[in-house]
Amino acid sequence: MSSVRRAGEVAQREFLTVLRTPTLLALAAGYVFLLTAVAWLSVAGTYIALVLDLLTPVEVLVPILAFAFGYRAILGDRESGELETVRTYPVSRVSYVGGVYLGRAVAVLAAVLAGLVAAALFVPFSSGRDLSFTATHATVDSPVLYLRFVFLTAAFALVVLALAILVSAAARSSRGGLALGVGAVVALLVGFDSAILTTLAGGFVSGDSLTALLALSPNSAFRSLVFVTTLAPTGASVPEGPAALVATVGLAGWAVVAITAATFVVWNA
Amino acid sequence: MTADQSVATARSDESAETVVEVRDVSRSFGDLSVLEDVSFSVEAGSVACLVGPNGSGKTTLLRILAGLLSPDDGTVSVTGEAGRAVGYLAQQPVFRSQFTVRETIAFYGRLVDAETDVAAILDRVGLSTVAGRRVGALSGGMMRLLGLAQATVGDPPVLVLDEPSSGLDPMMTRRITDVIAGLRQDGDAVLLATHDLRSVERIADEVLVLGRGELVASAPPETVLEETGTATLEDALEKLAGDDGGVQAGIRGGDAA
Repeated sequence: MSSVRRAGEVAQREFLTVLRTPTLLALAAGYVFLLTAVAWLSVAGTYIALVLDLLTPVEVLVPILAFAFGYRAILGDRESGELETVRTYPVSRVSYVGGVYLGRAVAVLAAVLAGLVAAALFVPFSSGRDLSFTATHATVDSPVLYLRFVFLTAAFALVVLALAILVSAAARSSRGGLALGVGAVVALLVGFDSAILTTLAGGFVSGDSLTALLALSPNSAFRSLVFVTTLAPTGASVPEGPAALVATVGLAGWAVVAITAATFVVWNA
Repeated sequence: MTADQSVATARSDESAETVVEVRDVSRSFGDLSVLEDVSFSVEAGSVACLVGPNGSGKTTLLRILAGLLSPDDGTVSVTGEAGRAVGYLAQQPVFRSQFTVRETIAFYGRLVDAETDVAAILDRVGLSTVAGRRVGALSGGMMRLLGLAQATVGDPPVLVLDEPSSGLDPMMTRRITDVIAGLRQDGDAVLLATHDLRSVERIADEVLVLGRGELVASAPPETVLEETGTATLEDALEKLAGDDGGVQAGIRGGDAA
């Protein structure tokens, strides 16, 4: 049996585990409900305005959702002792971590996309507000721009999930895993940006380097990509940030490094 | 000596074939030496029971045999087919509560072989009637049987069982002992750690006594009794590796060393 097939078996088990865990299902439902509520309350009227309304909630909720789905994936097996049982089978650490990530990723993406699709359903039925304050060309509003936001959000969720899997692989106890998970979410939401600002204020880096540094923060990189690919095409004025390529490399780097590190520590932690 | 753990790929049908060969294995955790120059072998179609006081190194030795730990020194050779050479039952086996008994074994079966006969595996340990039950609803004894079933997935020639009957009622203990006897009959080599000396007297072909990380006896039960001049294994164990941790004697294959 190939490593890929074994990873597939692990992935299937992970996905079914999420489907059969009421707490995670409730959390996913809560996430969908919150995004829907934001869309309903904002009465956006346009996809671009909806993107603006959803951007901050998504930046907060997606990391929480991804960590909730991922931080116990490997840790739970380790604490119960089942990880040792798995290790007595011909399953490589790459297959195991890859399978865990894949299975949880499908579940996270399903929840993330469900929320964004539910939110988008309000656009055609709402009267909307004047778009002129966000874009100079109101007529360019399009579901395609919203789809770009959806795609970027999915990618952001996958990056954060990779970090959650790293936490899960490295933690030795529930308490440690929870502490690491909460710390990582806080770091994502405010820590990285604060550190970059502190570095800037301290004169350690020049203002010119700021935009590139922002690519090191997953949330900032995601935000920048949303601005560049979704809002900028409408002619809207967007804050200066890292170039799309740099931000993409930044996000991908977090995912690759996290999964690689998780693969390295999973048998050892 | 370089630590080495190898799995040969040939498997013979000869019943007396040595399938586990442990030579001069030592293992420490920091400054604490847990195993020191442990050597023994286990033949196919036999049951070797590892006994000794708590902290004598039994679990560490089993984890080394299962490939979960590497020895600092010495070699462990397990002869088996490519794939799963050693089946392992942890001291407190736990499986995901969201899955049924059948799904759990099927998952492990697919990790080794897409054609695993889940029904036959469950039948062997007597869990067929609860195959559709969620793991979270199993009793402690049934969970142990599920762990035993899991250990046999892939038909490994060597089974390493860590206290398979600890904390179980006499009926469940007997059931597990019967399953182990059946595995021996099928030609598997079973190495188990236990404190249940009555079960040892019943099923052991070989008793391995660990004291302070050293193997102080390795012989059939009757030989251990004879050489120690005791009537029960409990007394023999007390004499060989008592609470004071003192190693009183060495017995190898019936000869006092």
